[in-house]
Amino acid sequence: MACGTNLVARGLMTWFCCGNAWGPCGGAGGGACGGCQSRLHHCAWPNRNAACFDITRPDRCGKSLPRHGCGHRFFVTNRCSGNCVGVVVQDCGPQTDLFCGQRNCCGDTCGEDKIIDLTPSAFSAIANLSAGVRPCRVDN
Amino acid sequence: MSTMDRRSVLTSAVLGGAALVGATSLGSLAPEAAHAHRSVSLDASVPDPNFAEGRVAAINGGLLTVTGSDLVLHRIRATEATSIWKLHPTSLRAVEVGDGLYARGVPLPDGTLAADAVWVNIVNLHAHIRAIGRNVLSLDHRGQPIVAHVVPGVTAASYNGTPAVADLSLLRVGRHVQVLGAWHPDSNEIDIATVYAAAN
Repeated sequence: MACGTNLVARGLMTWFCCGNAWGPCGGAGGGACGGCQSRLHHCAWPNRNAACFDITRPDRCGKSLPRHGCGHRFFVTNRCSGNCVGVVVQDCGPQTDLFCGQRNCCGDTCGEDKIIDLTPSAFSAIANLSAGVRPCRVDN
Repeated sequence: MSTMDRRSVLTSAVLGGAALVGATSLGSLAPEAAHAHRSVSLDASVPDPNFAEGRVAAINGGLLTVTGSDLVLHRIRATEATSIWKLHPTSLRAVEVGDGLYARGVPLPDGTLAADAVWVNIVNLHAHIRAIGRNVLSLDHRGQPIVAHVVPGVTAASYNGTPAVADLSLLRVGRHVQVLGAWHPDSNEIDIATVYAAAN
């Protein structure tokens, strides 16, 4: 159970804010699990439970993502740099089906469809926040 | 000199109280490259010591005093080598009291964070387009209205993940978009850096 050793999925990662926050994020709250915080290494996963899956529908984009609930730990690798961060599921998201076919590339390395949202703390540990989206792999 | 070497020089310069501009000649550290091939596996219940966020309460030279959203006080030291983003790559001179920020760097023994990168007022909103006006998008973000300004020469659109272009004509009312931009403090307005949208 570590970076790059037990593949769950490849796709795109993006970032979101939750918990105590400034600006438009101020009302974000603690996420579906209640404890989400932008300053911690947390994430949102599209198949947190059945109700979450009914909203995000990654299957509509051809993504088969296993169910993992609050507290599950993933390792997310930025495929552009090889940087990896450990994160814990604290919310439901991203809404994968709103953007089926979305791609992001760095050189010849590309990802398709959003599969995980990271908090600013986690995303900035492995990527530039101003990139917004990056190809990634998710491991257990 | 590798990126990690440059980062170490930056930290050493701050630690030693040496001329901070010494790092300038090494070039600004690209945030993504600054942590090349690094693995971060913290206890997710513990704040990342290399990260800080909050609102700028005071600026004294290169030292930013920031009130965290959890009310923890951060002191963030920026140098000419620090990568600073505020709608676009910029310098410390663009940072103002009241701005929100995220920062990543190296914690120093004196309690300050020597910043490798600072993102000022950055937001990454997932929203629906309510209306499209001249140089402005009206967005619905979690039920809240957001006024998103198009900044000529800066704002770009990426359709279906294609390289960003200045042409926003393919945006449609009712469609979902992801908007990376810079917040206008204490308002519901932002400036758009990049809008990600489907093209069909």
